[in-house]
Amino acid sequence: MKHVLKILTILVAISAFWIGLLQASIVPRSHTWLLPIYFIVSLGCYGLLMVGVGLMRFPTCPQEALLLQKDIAEAKVFLKQNGVDVGSD
Amino acid sequence: MELADRAVGFLLSFISLTIFTYYSLWVIILPFVESEHFIHKYFLPQEYAILIPVFVGVVLLCLLSMFIGFVMLKSKKKKA
Repeated sequence: MKHVLKILTILVAISAFWIGLLQASIVPRSHTWLLPIYFIVSLGCYGLLMVGVGLMRFPTCPQEALLLQKDIAEAKVFLKQNGVDVGSD
Repeated sequence: MELADRAVGFLLSFISLTIFTYYSLWVIILPFVESEHFIHKYFLPQEYAILIPVFVGVVLLCLLSMFIGFVMLKSKKKKA
């Protein structure tokens, strides 16, 4: 099934649940009216949290950085020997 | 360099957790507390619990559409 269909079914299920809650009036009415906004705010909060956590756990790989610099220096030397202008520093 | 990244990430997650707990307390728990309790001093009146997210959402939508329009105009000007 396509991804957008899955998202639409989830949205329809959540709205059906919300309308069911409104009809059954188990929870006080004012609470139920606030539920969709609360859901959206918590979704935004969750996204921000995931971004923050991903930033914190981002690996920098210092050894690979060193190897990359060595490769770059080697390539520059080789190209300069063969007459290609490598520019910058 | 990675310390700055970690600090920004920590700040973001801290902000998101504070917003989440404050908003949950505001919307879910506060109506069940009697209106004379001292904790009502720390929370704005209940109408703002709806107004502030709607306002922020509308502002975000406006900024997004402005950005999209700006990028579209710039690309059209470059092609012409």
